[in-house]
Amino acid sequence: MRITLELTAHAIARPDPAGSLAKGQIGAWVEFAGVVRGLENGTPIAALEYEAYDTMALRVMREILEGLATRLACESAWVIHRIGVVPVGETAIWIGVGAAHRETALALVAEFMNRLKQDVPIWKHRALTDADLGVSSP
Amino acid sequence: MRILFFSQVRDAVGCAEVEWAGCEPMTIETFWERLLQQFPTLTPQRSAVRIARNGAFTQNNEILEPGDEIALIPPVSGG
Repeated sequence: MRITLELTAHAIARPDPAGSLAKGQIGAWVEFAGVVRGLENGTPIAALEYEAYDTMALRVMREILEGLATRLACESAWVIHRIGVVPVGETAIWIGVGAAHRETALALVAEFMNRLKQDVPIWKHRALTDADLGVSSP
Repeated sequence: MRILFFSQVRDAVGCAEVEWAGCEPMTIETFWERLLQQFPTLTPQRSAVRIARNGAFTQNNEILEPGDEIALIPPVSGG
């Protein structure tokens, strides 16, 4: 499985998957975007601040994907996680998976997200309000 | 030995990393004893924090070497 991993401090622009799709081998392309909600534990927020242990996060994500690929045959997996301040409504994580069949692609995305939330050293370090971001209330 | 702190662990100790110069190889238990002596504010978090050695989670019987990069990994919350 071809694996592409990125940690970025910039807004995630949905990648064009065309280059990562092996023509004729891909019957399913599944995308998932995790977006910052406006409520954190019931409290309105303006953004979440993420941080990562970069080198380990990339290594663990690769290990997880390689492990999953041994039983979920996929052709490619592309993961982008944003680090730093991510405003409400913007994408914190984007995943694209290509496979011959939808079942394996959907399962890989779901299982990867579960594992990410257990073992990948990335943290929602704190929730920020408008005041934290220097935005004045109307 | 270089020790890295992240997220709420960093908040508890007040710095992002420390260096232990000239230390001997040590068990994880010894590492924790020494660390909590230096940073008692970490005590409440100990049971929830995992130790990574050179970018990989440790096993209980692992020995930490002086040249290692050790990271304290509090519960993760990416995505």
